[in-house]
Amino acid sequence: MEEKEFERLLKIARLKLSEREAARIKKDIDEVVRYFDKITRFDASDEPAYQPIHVPTKFRKDRVSRFDDVEMLKSGSKLHNGYIVGPKL
Amino acid sequence: MPSYIKEFLKAEKPEGYYEALVESLHKANREYNAFNVIDENVGQSGNAMPFSTKSNICVKGVETTAGSKMLKGYIPPFNATVVERLLDSGRFAFIGETNMDEFGFGTFGVNAALPARNAFDKNYVAGGSSSGAAVATAMLKYHVALAVSTGGSISAPAALNGVVGFTPTYGTVSRYGLIDYANSLDKIGVMARNSDDARIVFDAMRGGDGKDLTCAVGNIGSKKKKKLFVIEELDRYADKTVRANFSGLLDRLSAKYDIETRNIGALDVAVEAYYILAMAEASTNLARYDGYKYGLQLKDLATRYNEFFTEARANFGEEAKRRILLGTFIRSESVKAKYYTKAARIRAIIIKRMGELLKEGFIVSPAFPMQTPKISEVERLTPVQTYATDIFTVPPNLGGFPHITFPYHYQDGMPMGAQIIGEHANDYALIDFVGEWEGEFDYRYKHNIGSL
Repeated sequence: MEEKEFERLLKIARLKLSEREAARIKKDIDEVVRYFDKITRFDASDEPAYQPIHVPTKFRKDRVSRFDDVEMLKSGSKLHNGYIVGPKL
Repeated sequence: MPSYIKEFLKAEKPEGYYEALVESLHKANREYNAFNVIDENVGQSGNAMPFSTKSNICVKGVETTAGSKMLKGYIPPFNATVVERLLDSGRFAFIGETNMDEFGFGTFGVNAALPARNAFDKNYVAGGSSSGAAVATAMLKYHVALAVSTGGSISAPAALNGVVGFTPTYGTVSRYGLIDYANSLDKIGVMARNSDDARIVFDAMRGGDGKDLTCAVGNIGSKKKKKLFVIEELDRYADKTVRANFSGLLDRLSAKYDIETRNIGALDVAVEAYYILAMAEASTNLARYDGYKYGLQLKDLATRYNEFFTEARANFGEEAKRRILLGTFIRSESVKAKYYTKAARIRAIIIKRMGELLKEGFIVSPAFPMQTPKISEVERLTPVQTYATDIFTVPPNLGGFPHITFPYHYQDGMPMGAQIIGEHANDYALIDFVGEWEGEFDYRYKHNIGSL
């Protein structure tokens, strides 16, 4: 994997690594990707299976339901009028 | 072999039984790190069998971290469906949350703050990622564990600690309240000291749940098979000792079953396909941990979102970071067809070919390709070497097939486990198989904490 591609991944995955960590992980990733390349030599044209079993689609009734159990939202987060306070966008 | 659950519920307990149990458990836990949380109130439900949950299953009011610093301080305000059902049955009491590899990312249990140690010898690995669940089951006489498998996280540690590890058909047990690793692969299962206990817990927790629409498999069968298949292409992956012992097991089983060797023709690439799919799913699942909604709370909310998010995500462990980056890479538009879609095509082939074979008989294999390694030995393994050890447990997980691990031999004092795979929704047949095996085999345990 080229350095530029590795930098792109770090940026979109929002990960910042120390120099040592980056060197180690980059080396591992190169090795893992080479390992994954084995599947490219395997002939497979079946329809992809994204689930192991057939999961029938069930729809909920199209009804508005109020969700006002603030307790469900609490997880040590800062709340303001029932909303979680987050960083600036 | 009689059920420990039934025996326990019938037995008279001495006064202060649960308090003494908690005290002994704390003492043992300081050496083995099986539990992240021990619940002092286990005795408050009256006469009930202790059960533990892997730390990625939400328990109301109990810190549930999935073994990650990212979820430090996360106290779920609700119970996972499996927990709710066990508690509602009135037969089970929560005893604590068990140790695990961070978010389930590991085969040996070492991707944890304090790795769980093998119940037979603490210098050896517990196996992972449900490391603590297996050690707890091997340590406590009256206890069952809820564990979770994505690619082998029940089978591997169960085998290495000499307990029964049952992974049900995908979609039979609700995942509501499970902290996701890879949604199309995650399954909640059971570890127990015998097959009867695994059956009782499975019955108590399975069945449709409006909160998890993938929980769609209702009718579970018990179709006995006369044939056992050994998969030829996997044979070379086991080391010499495992192969020799497994061959001895086949000799014993041949008295009751016809044993045939077959080729699936796709299992050589199963581990690669599995990790591609699992990492792609994991990298999206981990995006929800942002430093202000669950668990870890960063103080400075004045920071801009991107920097805030990046700073929070520095708290993931190294294997999690590796999987996030690989998963992000695999999902990139330029390589998606090459890796992700191709892996899903291979998965389709495996489901089809294994499914056809499993109509005729069960598949039998070792659960783990090597003898239990020491903790110091696995620290030297590369990620690829570690992933490759999932060779026997990945195929049933990729296909959502039920599978069960049971101890069949003790080598140099350490247990060795074998695995039986069945067709979708034939889960009871596997439990029956192990029940039959137990009639001819004596399980050994080094610890029996909580004996009566």
